[in-house]
Amino acid sequence: MKYLVYLVVLFMLSSCVEIIDDLTFKSDGSGTFKYTLNLSASKVKVNSVLALDSLDGKKVPSVQEIKDKINKYKEIIAQKEGISNVKVETDFTNFILKIQCDFTSIVALQKAIKEIVIDESKSKKEIESYWLTWEGNKLTRSVPSITGDLTSRLKKEDIEGLKKGNYMSITRFDRPIEKCENSASLISANKMAVMLKITPYALIQNVSLLENSIMLSDKK
Amino acid sequence: MKNICLFVICMLSLTSFGQTSDDLIPKEAVTVLGINNTSLLKKISMDSLIQYEFMEEVQAEMFDGSADNKTLKDAGFDFEQKLHVFNGKTSNYEVSGFSFGISNLKDLLLVFDDFDKVKSPINGIDYYNSYFNHLIIRGKSGLVLRVDPSYEKIKHVTDSIWIKRGNGYFFDDKDKKGDNEGDDEMEEPIGKILKDGELEADDSEVKLNAKDLINKTYWELKDSVTNVLQVKYLQTILEEIFEKNIHLKSQDSKFAAQLTHESEGIFYMDNSRNLQNAKGLWYFQTMFPELFKDIKTLYSGNIVVGDIYLKENSIEFKLQANYGENLGKIYAKLNSTKFDKNVLRYIHEDCAGFFTYNINLKEGYKQAYDIIIPLLSQQKDPRVTSNVLKAELLNEFVNLDALFDTYQGSMFGTFNGVKKVKTKRIEFSYDEKTFEYSEKEIIGEEEMPMFTVGFSTGRADIPEKILNYMGKMTTRFKKTNNYWKIDDAVFNSIPVYVINRNGLLVITNDESLAIENLDGYGNKSLSGKKAKNAKKSKFMYSYFNIGEVLSKIPKQVFTAKQNKVLDSMRGKEGYIEMTTLKTSSSYTDFEINYYFQGKYTDSGKYLLDLINSAFILAK
Repeated sequence: MKYLVYLVVLFMLSSCVEIIDDLTFKSDGSGTFKYTLNLSASKVKVNSVLALDSLDGKKVPSVQEIKDKINKYKEIIAQKEGISNVKVETDFTNFILKIQCDFTSIVALQKAIKEIVIDESKSKKEIESYWLTWEGNKLTRSVPSITGDLTSRLKKEDIEGLKKGNYMSITRFDRPIEKCENSASLISANKMAVMLKITPYALIQNVSLLENSIMLSDKK
Repeated sequence: MKNICLFVICMLSLTSFGQTSDDLIPKEAVTVLGINNTSLLKKISMDSLIQYEFMEEVQAEMFDGSADNKTLKDAGFDFEQKLHVFNGKTSNYEVSGFSFGISNLKDLLLVFDDFDKVKSPINGIDYYNSYFNHLIIRGKSGLVLRVDPSYEKIKHVTDSIWIKRGNGYFFDDKDKKGDNEGDDEMEEPIGKILKDGELEADDSEVKLNAKDLINKTYWELKDSVTNVLQVKYLQTILEEIFEKNIHLKSQDSKFAAQLTHESEGIFYMDNSRNLQNAKGLWYFQTMFPELFKDIKTLYSGNIVVGDIYLKENSIEFKLQANYGENLGKIYAKLNSTKFDKNVLRYIHEDCAGFFTYNINLKEGYKQAYDIIIPLLSQQKDPRVTSNVLKAELLNEFVNLDALFDTYQGSMFGTFNGVKKVKTKRIEFSYDEKTFEYSEKEIIGEEEMPMFTVGFSTGRADIPEKILNYMGKMTTRFKKTNNYWKIDDAVFNSIPVYVINRNGLLVITNDESLAIENLDGYGNKSLSGKKAKNAKKSKFMYSYFNIGEVLSKIPKQVFTAKQNKVLDSMRGKEGYIEMTTLKTSSSYTDFEINYYFQGKYTDSGKYLLDLINSAFILAK
């Protein structure tokens, strides 16, 4: 019976992922970072994978191990200089993960993320440069090279899933946006936020799709 | 006297040189696959043949380049003799290889060009060597053989010598295993334990140069031990086959009988020796040797033999599972049942794949209890005695009638094709003015395969009690007038339906079965030849339209090994039918037929595909 269940659920290959990265900047360079990973459209597949002991020869972690890992990262992030108010929400029914933290400067935020990535990958090569720069009236953002490197590690069926997914990158300010260099940018009706929406597949194929320079008005 | 001696020598020579490939299979072989279709082998190029996993057993590297564009015929093989591929295992070593006939030695040696002729360890044979592989030729027959001493044996001999040299216990990587795995690694020490607890090495079977013992590192010593054990075991096998005429055919009458069959292929597997050599049973064997002996006796004669017939429109496998008297008594009781016709109503006439399975669990349990409990009762070990007591008390106190009426032992399963089902997911929608986003539940549709399994039950009230209880405990269990619906039963996403009527407990994810076909498919139910065959087959029957089933079930659901088996079937049409022909107290006959409706011209290729599948399954 258990095997029949696997047969049923693993059949669902039309999995997709939704990612939202949401950065809120204040004029003093501090702000809030929110990251949301929504796998609810793939929850059948995720559940079925979690039910396995191993996949492609690699051990599949249990839900408890994933929770432990998330909590560990939460503690590590909270200890980083310039990072505070770390919140993590997990929904293991729909497989939605939300991470949020406040930062004193984007340098502090990036440093914290880099240190975690380096610790996890045991290699400094994974993430070398900064991908966010803040110059008072101008925010320039790119995408870390690690994102592009993921392409080679993905299987064909995973790539198909990524084609159906969504990647939303939202940047919010406390001042109106004057203009954006990326022509695919959508500026909110209140002019206080800018959004770039692409598929995760497009992103890993061409990380420059999310590059943007956002110029802000001097006035609030 | 001189004439008598001459006659004896002549007869011995005739016996020895009269050996065919049938006589060159070591008695240690547990699994043997024999192919004797002359036309089949002539059609297959060696490069195609070695792609199969059953040929990998004899090391593909021996055919490097030298076999390009050659058929077996060009390679000097004799088709008047069968080609046998075998492997086997003892507690000390593993043996694998193949035996074959030779029509042209010169051509054969061009294929085996990696092999160098070396001095033969025994008289009367030509002996060639290539790393761990050995080619032995006598007259018109050849044997390619590989003998690998077991890790445990090598380690124990090495450790014995190593410790005798005054070293401590050497830990290598394989020692760093988990507790469970570690159990498998232990075996009786080769040396004797002295009074002061030291191990006296028994290196009597490994004669190493004394200087080597002093100068060698542990790893060098281990390599030497491996080499010496390889030579020793190989020597023993060769002496038995070529000097003493001891081989599988002479030792196993069932295998010998199988060799006389005029089928395109034969199959042999000795399950009783698989049990004996199972590494996982080491603890059981060591801690309860008498009990293991009894269980081994129970399994004695448990040999599966089979024939493969290549017909114009089908490939037929005829398998016979043999067993000993006591096991036979249990199987006979298990099979003393009637086919439950009710299952047919829940199998659609167009069903792409289904199976039925019928046993009398109650009678089988009683017989097994009568045979196994007396065996266990003889044991004096407190753990065994305690478990016997538990089993006897349960047997007394549990209402066996209620238990075995609830689950009688018969069941069926169907693959109902692929249908769309509703699933829920969360989507984030955002406000155009601020880009603030919120969660929204979306109902989507996903395609998924539909499966049904069902059990015969004489006590519908008992599962109903459990379902009622579950219904009170959680809102996910909902009862409608006629069936139960369990929401999000499959990984919080897909509902499952339970139908408890007509003497069956049916579980399915096919909503239409629960809503529209509660009492079965009516006049669309399985009937005709397939239904008749299922009824007649009693113990087990299965039917699979392989093209339809395999094209719809994704590869990801199977392991790499299972996919290897199924790959040979993918992209092909036709159906496979498995039936149980006859069951007696000493054997059960099965027939597995693959009907491909005459669409294939190269049926030999398909046969080899299937043989390979069978071999992988049997490994």
